[in-house]
Amino acid sequence: MIRNIKKLLWNMNEKHKQIQKNLQEPKSESSLHLSYHQNIEALRSVYNNCSDVIFREFLLLGKKKAMIIYMEGLSDTMGIEKHVLSPLMQETKNESLTVNEMIEHKLIISNWNSVYSLPECIESISSGNPILLCEGENVGFSLGLSKWEKRSIEEPEAEVSIRGPREGFIESIRVNISLLRRIIKSPALKIKTMKIGTYTQTTIALAYVEGIADKTLIEEVTNRLNRINIDGILDSEYIEEMIEDNPYSPFPQILSTERPDIACANLLEGRLVILVEGSPFTLIAPISFFSLLQAQEDYYQRFMISTFIRWLRYVFLGVSLLLPSFYVAVTTFHQEMVPSALLLSIAAAREFVPFPAIIEVLLMEITFEALREAGVRLPRQVGAAVSIVGALVIGQAAVQAGLVSAPMVIVVAITGIASFMIPRYVAGIAIRLIRFPIIFLAGTLGLLGIMLGILAIVIHLCSLRSFGEPYLAPLAPLKTKELKDMLWRSPLWMMDTRPHLTGEANLYKQTSDQKPGPNKGGD
Amino acid sequence: MKTVKISSLQMAMLMYPTIVATAILSVPNLTATYANQDLWISPIFASIIGFLTVFISVRLHKLYPEKTVIQFSEQIIGRIPGKILGLAFLFFYIQSTGGITRSYAEFIVSSFLFQTPIIVVIVSMVLLCAFAVYGGLEVLGRITQVLFPLFFVPLFLLIILLSPEYEFSNIFPILERGLLPPIKGAVVPGGWFSEFFITIFLLPFLADKKKGSKYGILTVFAVMITLVVVNLIVLFILGNTTSSKTYPLMNISRYISIADFFENLESVTMAIWILGTFVKISVFFYVVVLGTAQWLNIEDYRPLVWPIGILIVEFSFWAVPSSMAFIHYEITAFPFYSVTIQTIIPLFLLGIAFFRNKNRNRNKKKETNSVYK
Repeated sequence: MIRNIKKLLWNMNEKHKQIQKNLQEPKSESSLHLSYHQNIEALRSVYNNCSDVIFREFLLLGKKKAMIIYMEGLSDTMGIEKHVLSPLMQETKNESLTVNEMIEHKLIISNWNSVYSLPECIESISSGNPILLCEGENVGFSLGLSKWEKRSIEEPEAEVSIRGPREGFIESIRVNISLLRRIIKSPALKIKTMKIGTYTQTTIALAYVEGIADKTLIEEVTNRLNRINIDGILDSEYIEEMIEDNPYSPFPQILSTERPDIACANLLEGRLVILVEGSPFTLIAPISFFSLLQAQEDYYQRFMISTFIRWLRYVFLGVSLLLPSFYVAVTTFHQEMVPSALLLSIAAAREFVPFPAIIEVLLMEITFEALREAGVRLPRQVGAAVSIVGALVIGQAAVQAGLVSAPMVIVVAITGIASFMIPRYVAGIAIRLIRFPIIFLAGTLGLLGIMLGILAIVIHLCSLRSFGEPYLAPLAPLKTKELKDMLWRSPLWMMDTRPHLTGEANLYKQTSDQKPGPNKGGD
Repeated sequence: MKTVKISSLQMAMLMYPTIVATAILSVPNLTATYANQDLWISPIFASIIGFLTVFISVRLHKLYPEKTVIQFSEQIIGRIPGKILGLAFLFFYIQSTGGITRSYAEFIVSSFLFQTPIIVVIVSMVLLCAFAVYGGLEVLGRITQVLFPLFFVPLFLLIILLSPEYEFSNIFPILERGLLPPIKGAVVPGGWFSEFFITIFLLPFLADKKKGSKYGILTVFAVMITLVVVNLIVLFILGNTTSSKTYPLMNISRYISIADFFENLESVTMAIWILGTFVKISVFFYVVVLGTAQWLNIEDYRPLVWPIGILIVEFSFWAVPSSMAFIHYEITAFPFYSVTIQTIIPLFLLGIAFFRNKNRNRNKKKETNSVYK
């Protein structure tokens, strides 16, 4: 018995080692040789069967052999021809420059640096910077001539706003960083980069504002990022899933956004932003549950309107979570609660429906979810057809055929709309998912079941943390100062303090008493 | 063990539903049996026990700042007697938790879910409470902060919405038969007020210790006001018939009618009341689990949560043969049992501890300063 367990453990250990070995394989440590041919041979063997790598040999100032190596499509070919090859291939007399001086004097490139090992060369080539190798030198030169096709900056499609900046992040991390830098110009905006992914070697940038962001928080996030050992990062979601606090929660503990203004607003509140190469979605951490219910537009319109819309959102959050289950509970267990006139009309509508309320609700909710999913994935032209068919089939025909009752259609429709009221798509989906267990509870225990469901959610939310921050932060634990941006949206001139994330050190973000008025400022 | 901290406000918000949740349901009936139309005076008398209990537990806490009663009773009266006393406390709290759970389930089954087996109602609630307790005191504190408005605001709304039905003359004659009936009526709610001794299990975990006693007293006061108000509105609406209703608050919530549309809201009252009961059971559950862990000298109480949860489910059947018997127990035995365990024994403990410290003071003057600070 014990032997078996030992064997099992040993096997697991071996397997683990093998995984480690496989992940480590592409990296091989070796510094560059003095011998030019040996270097070239090493690189050629690494890039064996890589037809997109170009090895171009030429005579350096007509004397030495040299080679420039780059990837087609990742580097600026025109630039290589114009700024590297043409000045270096001119034959000159009597000039006895060292290679280093030559590069400095002849190359018309602003950004270059020396590399001393093969892995460095490979990394440089794969990120689009051509490598220049010379005869008799054990040093290579990485030339900053990367250039590849990228999308232009567009308005983010998933986060639309009527007022406010229209720029959205794109797939290129450099552009994204520049978008942040264009908003926060202070050098206090720090950006740490690292590479994650054994094969993809994806660049990850951690941005924060020094003096506002908590130091232990930065350390914690950096540690968690460094812990990731994975073959590839294809989207920021990969990072999110690898660093969050509670992986078994339906609620997102990290916010993702496509909008630089949201990222910068959060940076200024002491949060961290993680940018991932190849993903237009940047990550914001830590967040609270209420960050999911705030839209950037809340701060771009008058505070009364924002407050009203926020309350509307809170109400509809409850509706999207509870309305179907409430309907089930009331029609199955607590008919006495319904006013008699309404009860009569509901009863009349339900008279010919063959299913009990819970089956009816589940049927409709699942159909609705299917329609939504189909609408998202389909090409846009077909998507319209789906919505028409869905509206007709669910709305009209099902009621006329007596399969579902008309009040049920209304309930499902309102619930659907309510779940789209939540500005963050991920949060909306979480709520829609939790809705189903609560429908079951309501179908078995009535209002008691709903209350138990709510209690379970509250317990879960209260024990959840996002990078050490309690998930229901300003509400529980209660921070009366921060309720100004949760229960309502205070006017900007009243929001003098930052959230507690920063500690007490950098509490004030503006001078207080800036209430505008006719007799203030100027003469 | 990780240092767990809650704020005094959280403690107050934990204690308030812990006392009020079950008290508002049955106290009007129980006091009316003795005090008739003077039932609203009884909570004021009863609150004296509450103030006394909070005073005792704050004093004891000051003498032994980092410890709960299970730990310091060993120091006060010696190891073996201390252990026996600790067991008595634990037994009381386990039995109470079982009783509370059972009465909650009896209420649900008898008023709303007639065909649901009682075990389903009990287990679902104890399971949720176990999750909350497993999360720890910090999580409990946060949960109660979320639930407190949901519990308190509807209670407040109930009072306002019922105002058209008030018959103020029901209050007369005041003190018709002297002070004795209200004092008799105060005995039963006194049992609830002595539950404030639970603060002794929360005080060591306060982040702001100075405010502890202030918030404790404030909570007693709030509970007293709530009970007086609830008793008054029950009296205003039901008059002399109060003593014949088992759950008067449920009866009066039937009187709500807004625009002939919102009617028969007792299910909503039930739903709100569940929140309070949840906090109550969780707090008792937490006390049992924490106390047991300390009694057995276990660092982490988490492994005890599930076994004790099962024990509580069992006790909800063992402790209570039927709901009638439970009401009988609540009137006859509970007030004396509760007050003895939670007020009188701690009072003796405080006395002994006080004299012991005095003796020690003579020997070591230096230490006293640090103890009394």
